[in-house]
Amino acid sequence: MKKLTTFMAAAALLGSGTAALADDTKIGILMDITGPIANFIPPLQNAADLAVKQVNEQGGLLGGSAVAVYGDTTGTAQGAVDAAQKLVNVENVPIIMGSLMSGTTIAAAEAAIIPAGVPQISPTATSPAMTFLEDNGLVFRIVPSDNYQGEILAKMVMDEGIKKVALTYVNNDYGVGIGETFIDAYTEAGGEIVAEAKHEEKKDSYRSELASLAKGDAEALVVIAYAGDSGGKIVRQAIEGGLFTKFVGTDGLRDELLIQNVGADALKTSFFSSPTSPAENPAQKALHDAFNAAYGEGADKAFVDQTYDATFLALLAIEKAGSTDRAKIAEALKEVAMAPGEKVGPGEWAKAIALIKEGKDIDYEGASGSAEFDENGDVGGYIGKFVVDGDGYKQVEIVE
Amino acid sequence: MELTGLFFYAVSLLILGGIYAILCLALNVQWGMGGLFNAGIAGFYGVGAYTSAILTTSASSKHLGGFGLPVPLGLVGAAILAGLAGWAVARICVRLKSDYLAMASIGIAEILRLVIVNESWLTNGSLGLSRIPRPLADLTTGRMGDIVFLGFVWFVVLLVYLAASRLHDSPWGRSLRAIRDNEASAAAAGKNVEKFRIQTFVIGCAIMGIAGALSAHYFRFLSPTATDPLLVTFLVWVMLMAGGSGNNKGAILGALTIWTLWSVTEIFTNRLPPEWATRSSFIRMLLVGLLLQVVLQRFRSGLLPEKSPPVKFRQE
Repeated sequence: MKKLTTFMAAAALLGSGTAALADDTKIGILMDITGPIANFIPPLQNAADLAVKQVNEQGGLLGGSAVAVYGDTTGTAQGAVDAAQKLVNVENVPIIMGSLMSGTTIAAAEAAIIPAGVPQISPTATSPAMTFLEDNGLVFRIVPSDNYQGEILAKMVMDEGIKKVALTYVNNDYGVGIGETFIDAYTEAGGEIVAEAKHEEKKDSYRSELASLAKGDAEALVVIAYAGDSGGKIVRQAIEGGLFTKFVGTDGLRDELLIQNVGADALKTSFFSSPTSPAENPAQKALHDAFNAAYGEGADKAFVDQTYDATFLALLAIEKAGSTDRAKIAEALKEVAMAPGEKVGPGEWAKAIALIKEGKDIDYEGASGSAEFDENGDVGGYIGKFVVDGDGYKQVEIVE
Repeated sequence: MELTGLFFYAVSLLILGGIYAILCLALNVQWGMGGLFNAGIAGFYGVGAYTSAILTTSASSKHLGGFGLPVPLGLVGAAILAGLAGWAVARICVRLKSDYLAMASIGIAEILRLVIVNESWLTNGSLGLSRIPRPLADLTTGRMGDIVFLGFVWFVVLLVYLAASRLHDSPWGRSLRAIRDNEASAAAAGKNVEKFRIQTFVIGCAIMGIAGALSAHYFRFLSPTATDPLLVTFLVWVMLMAGGSGNNKGAILGALTIWTLWSVTEIFTNRLPPEWATRSSFIRMLLVGLLLQVVLQRFRSGLLPEKSPPVKFRQE
C-alpha cells in the first residue's frame, strides 16, 4: 500500500509537469551546477531566468509562456551526456543553451545533442575543438575560440614590426590554446619564434626557463599566463635578470597587479591583448540595470552577459522559427543573431516579436557582443590592444 | 513526453548503465572475490579510455595518434595497458592491508590523472581528444547509432560477465575467497597469497580499462572531465555495495539500479516549483544520498547477496 501511494505521488508529480502546461514552450538549459565550477553558477542561473522572465512579461513565447528546464552536468562528461539525453528525449526541448565548460559542452553535443538534431548554443566554451565538430550546423557559441585571440595577438605583434620573439605559455587549456595558435599564425605571417618554453603554474622561480628563452636574439618576450601567478613572476624575474625589456601579454597578464609588481616604467614598451566590448555598448548597461533591479546585485559577475545573451538568442530563435521544429530553429538562430536586420537589444522582447510578426528580419546586439556566427558556429569578437598608462591600462586600438 | 523520446532516453540509460556494470564486475573481482580495496578506479578507467581513444582516432597534430585501428583492437589495447598499469601498481602496493591499499590507490589514480592533464603530446592535455570513432558507425546515422552502440556495450558486458562467472566458480576463485576470508590459513594450505592478489588486481584493472574505452567511444570526445572520481570511483563502490558484493549478477543489478536512480531523480527535481529551481540540483544530490542510505540500511549484503558456488565433483 505504501509503495502504491509513493508511486501515485510520483506519477502525479511527473504528470503535473506536463498536463497543466500545454501551451508552454520549454528551453533546455545545461549548466555545470554542481561540481568544480559550482560557485560561478548562481548568477548565471539568474541571468538565464531573467531572459525567460522578460519573455513571459512581454508577450510570451509562441503565444504561450517560456519555461526553463535545467540539466546539471555535475561538471563531468558522464553527467553531461546523461543530463543532455534527458533534456532532448524526456523533456523534448527544441534548443539547448549550454553548457559552460568546454569538456562537458563537447561531450554532451557529441553523444546526445547532435544525434538528436537539436541546436545548441554555448555561452562560454572556448575550446578550439568546438570549431571542428561534425555538427551539421547545430552547435553555436557566442564566445571567441581561444584560437582567435592567438591569431589576433600574432597580427598585433607583426603590425608592431617585431619579427623575432621568444614565447612562453602556461600549461593549461588557456595557455596551450592561445600559445599554439600564436605559433602557427605568427610563423605563417613571416615571424620567427627563436625560443619557446611551456611552463607549469605555481613555481617560485622561472629563471631556468628564462635563461633558455633569452638565448636567441628575440626582440620581445610573449607571455601567455596569469599576472597573479606564473606570468607576473616571469616578467619580474626577466626584468631583474636584464634578459628582456619588451613584453607582449594577453588578458591574463593585463592586470593592475603586474604594474604594482614591476612598476609602470619597466612596462613602457610592452603591450597586451584582451577581449573587449565595442567602445560604447548600451546593451550591456541595459542588461546590468535589469539584472540588478531583479536580483539586487551580481550583474558584473563573470559570464553573466554571455549566459543571458545565449538564452535570449535561443528564445528569439524559437519565436522566429514559429514552432518547435528543431531544424528550423537552428536556421532561425543564425537569422536572429546576424546582420542584416533591425537591431534588438537585451530585454527588448516585445519589440522583437512585433518585428517578427511584421515579417521583418532582426539582429540581436547583445551585452557580450553582436554574435555574428561564421560557418562553424563560432564568433569573432573584439580584441583590444592595451598599453600601460600610469597605474592602469589604456586601450589604444580595437581589432575585430 | 513522447514515446520515442522515452525510448531513446532508456537507450542512453542502458548504455551508461552497461559501462557501469562492467566497472562493477571489475571491482567485484578485486573486492568481492579478492578483498582488495581499490579506491583508484578512475585512474585505470582513464588509462583505458585514453589508450583506446589514441589507438582508434585518425592522425592529429595535437596528440599522439594516427593509428586509426578498429574499435575492438582499441578495447584490447585498453585492457592490456590498464592491466599493465595495474600490474605495476600491484607489484608495489598489493601487500598493503585493505585500508592502506585504498589510500595508495587513491594516490595512484591522482598521479595518473595528472599525467593525463600534463603530457599533452600524448593526450592533448586539458583540451581533450575529439572525433573518437564509434564501432559500426557506418551502419546508421543520428540517434539510431545509439541503438547499435547499446548492442555493442551489452555484448561486452555479456563477455565480461561470462569471464567473471567462470573465475568465480573456478578453483582459482575459491582460493581467492579463501585468501580473502582467512589469509593465514590459505597460506598454510600452500597458496601463494601475493601471486593470487597480483593476478586479481591485474584482471580487475584490465576490465576497468575496457569500461573506460567504451565510454570514450560513447562520448566521442575525451577530456579529463571524464575521469572524475565522484562519478567513476565512488559511484561504482556504491553500486557494488548495493548490488551485492561477491555476486556477479548483483554487480550488474546494482550498476543498473543505482545509475537509474542517479539519473531519473533529476526528472523529478526539475518538476519542483520554480522558486526551488536554483536549488534543485543540490536537492537531487541529497535525494540520491538518502535513497542510497535506505538501500544500504535495508539490504546489508546487497540486493543479491553472495552465494558460494556448489562444489562439483567430477563423475568417476
